Amino acid sequence: MLAELINPYHLQVASFILINIILGVSIYITLSTGQLSLANAGFMGIGAYTSALLTLNFDLPIIVGILAGTLMAGLFGIIIGIPTLRLQGVYLAIVTLGFGEVIRVIFVNWESLTKGAVGLSGIPHMGREILKTLKGFGFDPKVFGLQNNQFVFLTIFLLLLVITISIIMFFRRQNRSRVGRAFAAIKLDEKAAESMGINITYYKVLAFAQGALVAGFAGTLFAHVLAYISPADFAYHRAVEILIFAVFGGSEVIWGPVFGALFLTVMPEVLRFISEYRYMIYGLIIIIMMAVRPQGLIDVNILNWIKLKTSKRRQKHGTSSQKSM
Amino acid sequence: MRKQLKKFAQFTALSSLLVLSACGGDQAAGDKEEQSGGGTVKADIGVISYISGPGAAYGEAITNGLKLAQEEINSKGEVEINLVIEDSAGKQDQALTAAQKLMNSENVTGIIGPTLSTEMNVVGPEADLNGVPIMGTSTTAEGIPQIGDYVFRNSLPEALAIPAAIDKAIEKYDAKKVAILYGNDDVFTKSGFDTMKKAAEEKGLEILTIETFQKGQSDYNAQLTKIKGLNPDLILASALYNEGAVIMDQARKMGIDVPFVGGNGFNSPEVINIAGDAANGLIVATPWYGEKEDEKVQDFVSKYEEEYSKKPDQFAAQAYDALYIMAEALKNAGEADRDALRDALAEVQGFNGILGEFSFDKEGDVVMDPTVLVIEDGAFKVFE
Repeated sequence: MLAELINPYHLQVASFILINIILGVSIYITLSTGQLSLANAGFMGIGAYTSALLTLNFDLPIIVGILAGTLMAGLFGIIIGIPTLRLQGVYLAIVTLGFGEVIRVIFVNWESLTKGAVGLSGIPHMGREILKTLKGFGFDPKVFGLQNNQFVFLTIFLLLLVITISIIMFFRRQNRSRVGRAFAAIKLDEKAAESMGINITYYKVLAFAQGALVAGFAGTLFAHVLAYISPADFAYHRAVEILIFAVFGGSEVIWGPVFGALFLTVMPEVLRFISEYRYMIYGLIIIIMMAVRPQGLIDVNILNWIKLKTSKRRQKHGTSSQKSM
Repeated sequence: MRKQLKKFAQFTALSSLLVLSACGGDQAAGDKEEQSGGGTVKADIGVISYISGPGAAYGEAITNGLKLAQEEINSKGEVEINLVIEDSAGKQDQALTAAQKLMNSENVTGIIGPTLSTEMNVVGPEADLNGVPIMGTSTTAEGIPQIGDYVFRNSLPEALAIPAAIDKAIEKYDAKKVAILYGNDDVFTKSGFDTMKKAAEEKGLEILTIETFQKGQSDYNAQLTKIKGLNPDLILASALYNEGAVIMDQARKMGIDVPFVGGNGFNSPEVINIAGDAANGLIVATPWYGEKEDEKVQDFVSKYEEEYSKKPDQFAAQAYDALYIMAEALKNAGEADRDALRDALAEVQGFNGILGEFSFDKEGDVVMDPTVLVIEDGAFKVFE
């Protein structure tokens, strides 16, 4: 019964959705202080390459690689964040876009380490490694009536689901903490926030580093789910793709980029039946969206409306203090 | 409490969307029935191709070649092939999901594609693990069939093509000193360069300089001026045709008139269209030569032109042959079974297609003799 319901294809798509959601969250964090950073693809690349190289060359367990890759990306986030955050608006976007390209060019040219444009293949696969370990303990997926590959993708999916939910929960909580309030204040008016005693540099670098950390984390997961990475994966296109998640879904609330990532990853798959025309439809949907709802699909009003709908039965209405941001 | 409820609702929405997206492809899965009793072998063959995005021209040629072959094979009646074509948009993750769909939802017997070597690097291991035979028709980079037992290709690898072209060029021009020029940010040209360098070293050529360029570059004067000063006998250029044609144009204008040796990506009639007379003197090795005095080849060219009103390129030809090889293997296997198909594929020897005589080696790689061509007076000719 279970075995018939589990199709690795759907789980594979779901895994990419979850990774994209994490990437969407990473750009949301920097956007929530009003900074437009396009370096996320670069940080993702740093995370992916660090983890892949460590696990390939030193036979480290994947979990160590993932942690190291994430921290490395976070470290770069701090290093890059401190000088560049003196810039604002479009200037910051340009510099961070440049940073992403620099990272890609380094991956292309540092051939002795990264194998250049050919990319790294044979990266340990997360699900297969878990299966191998479990088999070492005498576990066999047949107990659940599952085939090996069904089990592999099910574990990846569940693992990513847990990770994604945790990340979203964390940032929702953070948004309602002192840090989140500071972010929101900076986003609304930097000067006013500073005069209220908020340490702007600290919070901006914090947001930038958090974004880098999360993007790097998504990168490590990407590397261990795909088992192959090349510099082209982390090029300018990826940066724009991540940005579109936020632009499409909306960047006011965390559910915006989450929804954007979900929708924009599912779309090309759903439209598979029209084959070569699917990206035209995809493009069309994005254009219509931007014309009709330039602030993105999901914003506070929509959330309140949904909340109102769901809570009407209990004769309550959402007040602004319970706004879930 | 309400928060929890909302969260729950969010993820229910998420998962139901997923299920919704799943519904599309499932119906087709059921009707793959093998019918070995009646003599015809019916099989679904999945195709992963690059049919949307900047490289869509490759995917178009490949699917055209496949459809033409499918028509002919099915009309013969021994094997009945149903093609299930999926788009990869040239991206690894898309190629992987397409492959998962073909393997798990459509239950195909074998897969042809994906188009790019980078995609094959991702899809190959997965297909191998699932025991689905997969054959690349345009994946020329090194190490592709070595991924696993179920991974094959019928595209002439650079490791066969480039040395053949260099050999002929050395013979003809008595070349001793070469300059190498390559695009270092593309898998295809980078892997071609590795092969070129190795071949040049093996043949004892003196490499004067190695210059790099990037995709989409439009000014190559810096690299070419340096090369001109060193006065090489030959220039080895690992470039795709768009950049390659511009390079040749600028080189000729600068007064460099030595022949160029190119890789597979340089081999396109487009070079002549873009560079005009400057394209003369480009030497490439290719499995495909449309002017060949061979009944099968001419037959294919005329049919293809009739159907799609343009001349077939090597991608169309390779795809066409690939499906014939699949059909041959299916016939020998006698049933639409993945393992039987793999074993039958591995045994394909001396297959006679439009590319010439073709065999798989032990690893599933190509054994064949490439044709070396040169551009003379604005047309590809056999290089003697």
